[in-house]
Amino acid sequence: MLSSVAGGLAYFLPAAQLALDSTGQVIRVPTPSPTDLLTSPAPSQSPSSSPITGAFTVLLLGSDDDSKFIGDHVLTQSMILVRVVPSTKQVTMLSIPRDLYVPLSTGGFGKIDGAYSYGGAGAAIATVQQDFGVHINDYIWVGLLGLVKLIDAIGGIDVVTSHPVMDDYYPADIYSSWPYDYERVAVLGGPQHLDGLHAMQYVRSRHGDLQSDFGRSQRQQQVLMAIRQKATQLSPEDLPGLTKAIGGELKTSIGLSRVAALLPLAASFDSPDQIRQIILLPPYTHGDGPGGSIRANWGLILPLVHQYFP
Amino acid sequence: MISRFVLGAALALLMLVCGPLTFVYLGTKTSKISVPPAKPTSASPRAQALTLPGTLYLAQSGAIYSLAAGRFHQLTPEAGWTQPSLSSDGSSIIAVKQAALYSDVYVLNRFGTVVRKVTSNAAPPRLAYDTGQNHWSFYPRLSADGKTLWMAYDKPKFDYDVVLSIWAMPFGGTITQGKLWTNAADYTGGDVQPVPVSGGVIYTKYDYGPDEKLVGRLWFTNRAYAPGKALTTPGEDCRNPAVSPDGTQIAMICTYEKQLSYLTVASWNGSTLGARKNIITNQLVAQPTWAPDGSGIAYLAPGVAAGPFQLWWLPRAAYAPVPTPAPTPTPGGPHNGPLPSPSAAPAVVIRPIQMTTNNGFDATSPPAWRG
Repeated sequence: MLSSVAGGLAYFLPAAQLALDSTGQVIRVPTPSPTDLLTSPAPSQSPSSSPITGAFTVLLLGSDDDSKFIGDHVLTQSMILVRVVPSTKQVTMLSIPRDLYVPLSTGGFGKIDGAYSYGGAGAAIATVQQDFGVHINDYIWVGLLGLVKLIDAIGGIDVVTSHPVMDDYYPADIYSSWPYDYERVAVLGGPQHLDGLHAMQYVRSRHGDLQSDFGRSQRQQQVLMAIRQKATQLSPEDLPGLTKAIGGELKTSIGLSRVAALLPLAASFDSPDQIRQIILLPPYTHGDGPGGSIRANWGLILPLVHQYFP
Repeated sequence: MISRFVLGAALALLMLVCGPLTFVYLGTKTSKISVPPAKPTSASPRAQALTLPGTLYLAQSGAIYSLAAGRFHQLTPEAGWTQPSLSSDGSSIIAVKQAALYSDVYVLNRFGTVVRKVTSNAAPPRLAYDTGQNHWSFYPRLSADGKTLWMAYDKPKFDYDVVLSIWAMPFGGTITQGKLWTNAADYTGGDVQPVPVSGGVIYTKYDYGPDEKLVGRLWFTNRAYAPGKALTTPGEDCRNPAVSPDGTQIAMICTYEKQLSYLTVASWNGSTLGARKNIITNQLVAQPTWAPDGSGIAYLAPGVAAGPFQLWWLPRAAYAPVPTPAPTPTPGGPHNGPLPSPSAAPAVVIRPIQMTTNNGFDATSPPAWRG
């Protein structure tokens, strides 16, 4: 028996090592901090892997993480609040515009995508919590290359691309030694199977969309749902290969035991009608902020957020 | 009585075996979702031993394959080849070869050998520093008389506003002799997948719908740069038009703005579409292609949920059921009594047939079919 256990441990060792590095991240919130994260333990700290029954909110963060940036001081080009209510099997996704001009938890005002670069995940979470009046239980951060690797590791995703995404000046910063290079992108429209690279091009390009970052947010939510659908087919035995593939391109506060409990939960959401998608288009926002930023119409946003993220 | 030494040795051996066995066993329990698609030419068993009529041309991983008499043949190397179509006599293949920054239309013979390059879309060397100096050509189609090449081409474009438009050019000429046929909407991806028909061209136009979401609509125009007319509504969100061999029906893919798609067939009278009939519903499905003999429709769809796209076949009876025959008169002379009421024939459900199981065909590449 001990030998079998040792064999099992050896199998899961790579996943465990990497998971310990990238999951269960302690959230440190920079001062001044209005958040209660320091005082209230996150649910993810619970060692139990029993079924998840209570509603919870996760902040998904996606970043350029190429050599334009020093260390972990990256911008979060994608910020999506996800609320999951297991009892009603409802998921709500709210995309926060990256250019939204807000008070930052680290002090002062700025575009919300800068919060992470000033103070890491803690600052990003604290900023969203204080500005949107929500409680965030956990976060997941993924770099560009991490998204590519994740999608490739699950064998690609099926997406109905809404239109041909054409971009003559798409950043060639993933596999290029010069992060300011450009390349051309043409992701054709319609139902198709996308590998990691083309899925990233689909969600990242914003030049060919009249709605710019808002259009991109809609595509990001499409791809998220496609990843979720594919993830329902994963088994725990896939975790070592998956973690090896993703490398250090993913960080999360969600502990290992909670990841195991989330897999069957994800599989139980089998209807697209259970997933509500919210994009903060005008009149929720308007584009006359300083430095090309977007101003929030908090009078409209906060009631919406309180309705779906109580 | 077993000696302690033998027992110890046996237990040690058991331990040595159990550890690796557990490791290997767990390895076999992984899901197969990341297994890459097999080449169509690999000898893996097919889901159905069914032979389609004629020769079908499909693209996978940058190579073009033919399927004839139940066997796949690789016609080109995996080098960016996609979107094959045929000359009207079936002797030539017109296809796209896509590179990192541009794509060109080529003529191949039926064995996949390049006959000639039709377009030259790479940026001139002196302007190569500007990626925007390159061009894309997609979805080439020859007119019935073989004289005109239709395609989607990204000109005009304006800095960040890169849209595909429908162009027609002499098949033996160059793009400078070509004519711009459509006025693509800005920041939409543009107009794609032209299908020349009698009296004009049908294509997919992407534009913003009333809800400000980008949607596809089938469109018809009979004059270069004329506004043309919409054949489908924004809410239907349709694309991938395919005209039946007799020219009276159009198959298309409609998504109703969801992450699902429907294979829909409608009658076509040369200017408008008739009532829609959804023949595949609530799954991902792409690129319907009519059999040249009218015996059915091939299309691409995942073999398993969220998997790569496979080749499927829908026999004609599935979407054009044979009418129930009238009751035959009673033999033996004139019938005196009331006619027997027609008994309801048992409904026979014709299901689509999955032709491949472990391939990964390019769902943005309409298959071509030679009779």
